[in-house]
Amino acid sequence: MIEMLSYDFMQRAFLAGIIIAILASVSGTFIVLKRYSLISETLAHSALVGVAVGLVAGYNPLWVAVIISVLSAWLIEYLRANFSLYSDAVLAIMLSGSLAIAVIIVSLGGAFNNSLFSYLFGSILSVSSADVITISFFGFLCLSILLTFSKEFYFIAYDEEVAKTSGIKVKLLNFLLVSVVAVIIALSIRVVGSLLIGALMVIPTVSALQYKQGFMKTILISLVFAIVSVVAGIALSFYFSLPSGATIVISVLLIFIVSLVINKR
Amino acid sequence: MNLKLPIFDVKNLNFSVGNQNILSDISFEIFSADYIAIIGPNGGGKTTLIRILLGLDKPTSGVVKIFGKKIKDFKEWEKIGYVPQRATLVDVNFPATVEDVVKMGRTSQRGLFSKESDEDRELVLDAMTKMDVYDLKDKMVGTLSGGQRQRVMIARALSSKPEILILDEPNTGVDIASQKRFYALLKELNIEEKITIVFITHDIGVIADDIARLFTINEKAIICNDPKKVMSCEDMSKLYGIDAHLLHNHKHEH
Repeated sequence: MIEMLSYDFMQRAFLAGIIIAILASVSGTFIVLKRYSLISETLAHSALVGVAVGLVAGYNPLWVAVIISVLSAWLIEYLRANFSLYSDAVLAIMLSGSLAIAVIIVSLGGAFNNSLFSYLFGSILSVSSADVITISFFGFLCLSILLTFSKEFYFIAYDEEVAKTSGIKVKLLNFLLVSVVAVIIALSIRVVGSLLIGALMVIPTVSALQYKQGFMKTILISLVFAIVSVVAGIALSFYFSLPSGATIVISVLLIFIVSLVINKR
Repeated sequence: MNLKLPIFDVKNLNFSVGNQNILSDISFEIFSADYIAIIGPNGGGKTTLIRILLGLDKPTSGVVKIFGKKIKDFKEWEKIGYVPQRATLVDVNFPATVEDVVKMGRTSQRGLFSKESDEDRELVLDAMTKMDVYDLKDKMVGTLSGGQRQRVMIARALSSKPEILILDEPNTGVDIASQKRFYALLKELNIEEKITIVFITHDIGVIADDIARLFTINEKAIICNDPKKVMSCEDMSKLYGIDAHLLHNHKHEH
């Protein structure tokens, strides 16, 4: 463990990973409770379009991913609120549409290489110092928003209509929540990868729900699960030279299975 | 004539979906400390009327004023407590204790960055005590009975210190014994706390003696200030379009 921490790239990976674990589990709680889990997968694929544009055009892929992911979140929320479309259908359309666009961009731009592979499945080697600064800055912003509006997001997740009748600006807050989730997902793709980030948002919360606790305890349990799986996943990635996204998801899956078994009635 | 400003002032309200009229030319006023039951057949527009009063649906035409203001200008929504029809049908896996749910009622009045104030805590405690759910405060809402959940949802509405409580078929999924206790609680809130009560119900027989006014909604509205008059079988036959004797017998079977 100490040997592992002596490498700069591992220190960066752990730091970025723990920030992402905190962000993914807290935001994931609201998304899961709203029964909106699939949005994390969809936005992750939209972020991939940003990565593709960044790689081909020579911009920082992380920044472009943040922008495209947020725009995509707004489009999803707009379509959901203003057209009589099923929410899950909108998500499915955007998910495959984004992936198709990303694949076309990287194919035409000749960027189908190892770099793209690391964005798909995460890589502990790819986290630069600039990435850690970006992740810390946006991460702080996102966490502040999530904590400031946590009671509103919780009420909306419990009963959107009653929240609205009590004077809460539900539409605005729904936009804000998906925007924050979009940013978090875009930030996460360095460490977890765009194809696997959805799992880190959803599984810690679903595991925590098995313990049937109140709101604050559920968030805390989810947070602990996310951090443990990210730390374990990054360590496994280091020792077995595997993509970090995959090892993180396997770790959180194990936690989910254990939670399911010990809470079985 | 009541000179006080009505809580709700509804004039010539119409609501239609496509070519179908759901509500036609409805006008009424609701005053402070009123105790009103809304009855009518399924699909008659009762829930739509409540949704319009709460600003969830926009009327096709007509004017709705709350405390003298048009809905779009009305901001003091904490004055209105709402308990929806599906309130007792909670998601059993949702991570919420009774206290978590009752606290939700304070959400819109707490500032963005402010912590829970003494007043918040006091109102939540008071609402739980009033609804007799304080002992359940650490229990998960999903584990409660229908009657207990119903009281929790009303406690949530009460924690915002409302002047009016609007309840949409609050007895869905609640056993008979709890229903009687529930109506007694409503009456108590109305008399002792002076909270205006408006609720949709099908329990016509149970509430007849208690309510002050009865709104019968079946696209159009009949506002009755002497509810027992409308309770005649003939009127109920007109309203529901079925043999009211059967309806009465059906009620007694439960």
